[in-house]
Amino acid sequence: MIDYDYKKPESLEEVFSLLKEYGPKATLIAGGTDVMVNIRNTKKAPEVLISLRGLKDLRYIKKNKGYHIGALTTHRMLELSELVKTELSALYDGASRIGSVQVRNVATIGGNICNAAPSADTAGPLLVLDAQVVLEGPKGRRNVPIAEFFTGTYKTVRKQGEVLVEFQIPAEMGHFGSAYWKHSRRKAMNLPILGIAVSLKLDDETITDARIGLTVAAPTPVRAYKAEEFLKGKQLTGDVLKEAGKIAASPECCSPRDSIRGEAWYRREIIEVYVARMAMLAAEKIKNR
Amino acid sequence: MSDHLFVGKSIPRTIEADKVTGKAVYIDDMKRPGMLYGKILYSKYAHATIKSIDTSKAKKLTGVRAILTGQDIPDVRVGFLRDQTVLKKDTVRQFRDEVAAVAAVTPEIAAEARDLIEVEYEELPAVFDPFEAMKEEAPLVHEVDARGRPVKNNILPLPWKFEAGDIEQGRKDSAYITTDNVSTTWVNQCCMGTSGCVAEFDNSNNLTLYNQTNVIFGHIGRITEYFSQIGLKGKKIRVVNAIVGGSFGTKLDTDIYEFISIQLALKTRKPVKILFDREEEFRALPPRQPAVFTIEQGCDKEGRLTFRKCEAILDNGAYTSWGATTPSVMIMPMSSLYRVPNVLYKATCVYTNNIYCQAMRGYGNPQATFAVETSMDTLAEKAGIDPAEFRMINRNRSGDETPMRLKITSCGFEECINSVKEKLNWDEKKGKQKGRGLGMASLIHVAGGARVTRSDGHGMMVKVDEYGHVDVIESGTDQGQGSPTVITQIVAESLGVRPEDVFLTFGDTALALWDAGTHASRHTFMAGNAAVRACAKAKHQILDMAVEHMPKIIKGGFKRKKRKDPDFVEPELDYGLIADPENLDIRDRMVFPKKDPDHPYFRIPVSQVLRQGLLGSGESKVVVAEAFYDPPTEMLDRELKGNLSKTYAFGTTGVEVEVDEQTGEVKILNLVAAHDVGKAMNPTLLLGQIYGAAYTGVGYGLTEEIKVVNGKVMNPGFRDYQMLTAMDVVPIEPVIVEPVDEDGPYGAKGVGEPGLVPTAPAIANAIYDAIGVRIRDLPITPEKVLAALKEKG
Amino acid sequence: MKKVSVSFTLNGDPVTAEVPVTWSLLKTLREYFELTGAKEGCGVGECGACTVIVDGDAVNACLYPVFEAEGKSVMTIEGIAGEDGTLHPIQTAFLENNGVQCGYCTSGMIMSAKALLDQNQGPMEDEIRTSIAGNFCRCTGYVQIVEAIEMAAREME
Repeated sequence: MIDYDYKKPESLEEVFSLLKEYGPKATLIAGGTDVMVNIRNTKKAPEVLISLRGLKDLRYIKKNKGYHIGALTTHRMLELSELVKTELSALYDGASRIGSVQVRNVATIGGNICNAAPSADTAGPLLVLDAQVVLEGPKGRRNVPIAEFFTGTYKTVRKQGEVLVEFQIPAEMGHFGSAYWKHSRRKAMNLPILGIAVSLKLDDETITDARIGLTVAAPTPVRAYKAEEFLKGKQLTGDVLKEAGKIAASPECCSPRDSIRGEAWYRREIIEVYVARMAMLAAEKIKNR
Repeated sequence: MSDHLFVGKSIPRTIEADKVTGKAVYIDDMKRPGMLYGKILYSKYAHATIKSIDTSKAKKLTGVRAILTGQDIPDVRVGFLRDQTVLKKDTVRQFRDEVAAVAAVTPEIAAEARDLIEVEYEELPAVFDPFEAMKEEAPLVHEVDARGRPVKNNILPLPWKFEAGDIEQGRKDSAYITTDNVSTTWVNQCCMGTSGCVAEFDNSNNLTLYNQTNVIFGHIGRITEYFSQIGLKGKKIRVVNAIVGGSFGTKLDTDIYEFISIQLALKTRKPVKILFDREEEFRALPPRQPAVFTIEQGCDKEGRLTFRKCEAILDNGAYTSWGATTPSVMIMPMSSLYRVPNVLYKATCVYTNNIYCQAMRGYGNPQATFAVETSMDTLAEKAGIDPAEFRMINRNRSGDETPMRLKITSCGFEECINSVKEKLNWDEKKGKQKGRGLGMASLIHVAGGARVTRSDGHGMMVKVDEYGHVDVIESGTDQGQGSPTVITQIVAESLGVRPEDVFLTFGDTALALWDAGTHASRHTFMAGNAAVRACAKAKHQILDMAVEHMPKIIKGGFKRKKRKDPDFVEPELDYGLIADPENLDIRDRMVFPKKDPDHPYFRIPVSQVLRQGLLGSGESKVVVAEAFYDPPTEMLDRELKGNLSKTYAFGTTGVEVEVDEQTGEVKILNLVAAHDVGKAMNPTLLLGQIYGAAYTGVGYGLTEEIKVVNGKVMNPGFRDYQMLTAMDVVPIEPVIVEPVDEDGPYGAKGVGEPGLVPTAPAIANAIYDAIGVRIRDLPITPEKVLAALKEKG
Repeated sequence: MKKVSVSFTLNGDPVTAEVPVTWSLLKTLREYFELTGAKEGCGVGECGACTVIVDGDAVNACLYPVFEAEGKSVMTIEGIAGEDGTLHPIQTAFLENNGVQCGYCTSGMIMSAKALLDQNQGPMEDEIRTSIAGNFCRCTGYVQIVEAIEMAAREME
C-alpha cells in the first residue's frame, strides 16, 4: 500500500539537509500536479515527499537587469503578470495554456521544467528566451543554459542534492518578440501534439536574431538551430518564414514520432506551418510595442 | 392553450437545489452500515487461456473479506446472447474481461489485494478487425454458443436484414446513383459520475441494489433470471437509484460489475460497493458501437429518391450488450429518413477481441445518419441539385407511412430545413466561399416511446395529502434531463396546484409501477402522458370530495360569521353550481365552478376540501390515483417493420465552418439546430437538451475517439480522450419548431437524443463545401483533413 | 500508515483532521468531514469535479496533498450558501438558467465560478470560459453554465 512521510522545510538549507539525509528516497514536490499523479498512476511512492511550498521566497517575477523568475512561481502568476505578457510573451502563451486554472494555481514553472516531459509547455518559451536555469546545492549556485538542461525524456542535469531555484532571462530578450503555439485538438486540458516557440529580433524588416524551440518534436525540448541560422539577416517575408519552417521540420532539426496524440508526418507539417506563423506573430509583437 | 400557468414556462430547476449545494447523494456518496468495497481484476490479454489463479497472497492482506474467481461462483451466462459469465474461468476474450474480484474494508485494501492476485495466462491468437474476423481462417472469439454448440465463425447469429419495395426497380428508375463508404469509431459516453452500485442482502437473501440505472425494472428482470440460476429463485429484488451522474446510454444494461457486487455481497453478507475510477470507465465500460457502411442511393431527374441500399459491418467486440442491437435502431433512419420507396439494409455484427459496446445517446441513429446524410450530399451534387433543395424534395410529411410502417403524425421537417437555410444565409453563401462552407443534415427519431419490449408502458402514481401536497411516484429515472421539473409542471398544471406543492420520487422499484425505462427520448412523452392521466383521476376524486364537502364548508363559514355578527344574512346561493364534479375545476390551488370561476363564495382552497374529505363528517377518503400509459404502437415484426413509436421527432442541423487548409483544423463558426419538439414544455430546459446534444455531436464529428490498439484502450482518461471543454466555443443557435402533437402531453414530443444525431454529418458536409474534400470517417481530425487535401493536390 | 494532524479553516470554521499522510484534501473532505459535494471524477486533476477554493484560488482537491492544507482557508460547495440556507447568487443562477443537469460537475463548476467572481467582478465571456475550462461537463455544452455565471456576476455587482 502506498505510504510515505512528508517534510515541510522553510528554508533552502533545510531542504539541502533533508536531501542529504534521505538521498534517493526523497522526492521534491512543488505544486504536486505531476508528483501526485505519478504516485497514483505508478502505485509507487518515495519514502519522503519534501514539500517546497514553504519556500515562499521563491515565488517572484522580477525585472532587474534581466528577468528573474522564482522556481516556485505558479503558472497562474505568470499568466496574470503584465510584465510576462508584454515582454516575454511566449512564456505567457505557454504558461496560460497548461492544464486548467485549478492546475495553474498550484503547478510551478520549476516543477514543469524539472519534470522534463518532452511536452512541457514552458520549455519551448524558455528555450527561445535564452533562459538560464539556476541550480542551488549546499555548495552554492550554478547556472545551466536551458538548452543544456534536459538530458533525456524526464531526465535533467539537476543533481540529487540540488534544487532549481530560479530562471534568469537576459535583459536583451525583452527586445525580442516571441510567441508560442500549443498545437492540440481541443483548446484546453491537453498535452500538446506539438509545441512551437519562436523569438526574433528585427531591425526594420530584417531579422537580426532568432530562436526556435520545439517540444514533442524530439525526446527532449529542442532548439531548431539550422532554421534559426537561416533566418538571421533575412527579410521578414512569407517566403523566408516558410523556408525556415521547412528547415525546422526537417530531420536536421527534429525527430517527431508517431504516438496516440499525433502522427510524425503531421507533426512535421505543423512545425513547418507554425514556425512561420509564430515568427510572424513574434514580429507583430515587436511592431505593436 | 396559452392560458397554462406552468406548462410551456421556463420554471427554474429549484426542485433540484440539492445539486447546487453539494447535498445530492450520488452512488459515490452512498454508505451503508458495515459496507465493504469491491475491486475487479481484469485480463492482461485480449485473448488467452487462464492457466491458474493464485489468490493466496491477496487473502493474507489484513482487511480483505472475500476473493472470488470464476471457480468460486456458479457458471451462469449473462448478456444479450448469454455469451459471457460474470467471472471468466477458462478463457479471456478482451482486455476488460473480469477475472477475479475482491471485497475489503477499504477501497485501497481491495485494490492492493487485487494487485496481489497472480494469474497465469497462455496467450491465444486474437482478431481485432471485423473484416479479418469474418474470414474463414480467423481465430474464433467464441468456440461454442450459449448452449454449448460449436460455432463456425465470428458472425453473430443476429442477421439484420430489412427489405421494402424493389431495389432493382429503384435502380432502373434512377437518373443518378452514388455509392459511399463511411465509417464511425468508438466513443465514450463520458458520464461525469462513474459507474457504480451497492448490493445488499437481508437475512432472507432478498436483495436491495442501490444503483444509478435508467431501467430499474430491466434490472429486476435480468437479476431475477440470474437468481433463478444461482439458487436464489423467488427472492425479492429492489432497485433503488441514487442521484444519477449522467447516463447517455451507459445505464440501460445490467453490467458485469453489478453481478460481481451481488456475488461479493452474497459471499460476505455485507453491503458491497463497486465504484469505477475514470480509467475503468474508459477501459471497462462498453462505449458507442463503431460501424462501417457501404451506402448506395439513387434519385430520378427531379431529385426524388428512388432507392437506398446499405450494408453495415459492426465490430461487436467480444460479448453482446446493447451494442449488438444497434442495427435495429439504424433501420429507422435507413428506411425512414426522407421519403424513399425501395430500401435494402443489411447489418452484420462480428465478434472480435476488442471491447464490446452498448448504447449511447441516439443509439445507432448517429452512425446511420452519418451514412445517409453523407450519401444525400454526394447524390445531390451528382444530380446537380442544391443539397438543401434536395432534402426539401425528399422530406417526410405528416400523414406519410414509411417503408418501415412508421406513421408520421406531427411533422415540422419543412420548417426545420427552412429555418436552417434562413439562419445560415444558405442561398447567398453556399458553395461561394473559399475555405468556408455550409452543410446540413437532418434526422428522424422516435419521440413517442419506442416499443422494444412487449410493454412500452410507463406507470405513475399520484397521492394528494390533506394539506394539498402532492407526492408523485415516478417509475422513470432522472439522470439530469430535467424530468423532475417538467413532470412537476405537468402535475401542477393538470391537478391545479403549484409546482412547489409537488414532490417526486424517482427510481425505486418497491414504490413505482412498471416502466420500460428512461431511454429512447421517451420520458417526457410517456411519463407526461401517464401524469396527465393519473392527475385527471386524482382531480376527479378531489372534485367528488368538493361536491360532497363544499356546501358544508361554505355553510359552516356562514354559521361562524353569523356567530360573530348577528346581523349577517346568509346569501341566497345556487348550490346547483357546485353539485356536479363536471362543473367544477381546480386551478392554482383553488376549487371553483367552471361557469363562474370568480364566484364570491364558491371559490375555496383545495387543501380545505382535502382536509374535510379526510377528517370532516361523512366517509373519510384519501386521494390517490395511478395511470399506466402504454401507447397503441407496434413491436417490429419478423420483417423488422412496425410503428414502434406514437410519434416521431424531426430536426435539421446546419453548420458553417472555416477550414485551415495548411493544418486541416476545422472551426465551427455557426451551428443552427432546428428541432421539431411538438411543444416546448420548458423552453430553458429544452435548450439545455439541444445545446448538450449538439456539443456531444461536435465532439463525435471532430475530436472524440477511443483509440483501441490490438484490443487495448490507449487513451483511458480525459487528458487524451478529447471531449470538448468550455473553451472550445461552438456558437449554437437553436430553433424550436412546435407542430403541437395531438398524442403528446400538452403536445410535447421527445427531444433528448435528436440534437446529437445530425451534427457530425452536417459538419462533414460543410467541410466539403469549404474545401472540396469529403471525410467519410469519424472523427474528422485535422490529420485526416490535411491528408485528404494533399491527396487531392 | 503514517498519520498527520492538519489544522485549517474549513468553510469559516477552525478544524483539525487526523488522517493518513497519503490522503488528498478531497479524500479528507469527503471521508473525514463528510462533505461529499466535491466529487472524484478522475482523481488526477483532469475533470474539475473536485474543485474547492484554497486561500481564494480554485484548486483540484484530488491533487492537493492534505498536509499542504495546514494553516490554509478551504471553502467547499457546502460553505457558500448563507447560514439560513439562502443560496449564493451563483447557486441560484445555476438553477434559474439550467446550468445544472445531472449535477455531478456542478459543485466543482460553481466553485470555479466563485473563485473567478471573487477576483473579477465583471468577467468577459472568455474569462468565464477560461475559469471553467478545467471543469468537464457532458450534459450542457457549457452554454447555459456560462450564461448562469454571467447572470450571477450581474446579480453580485
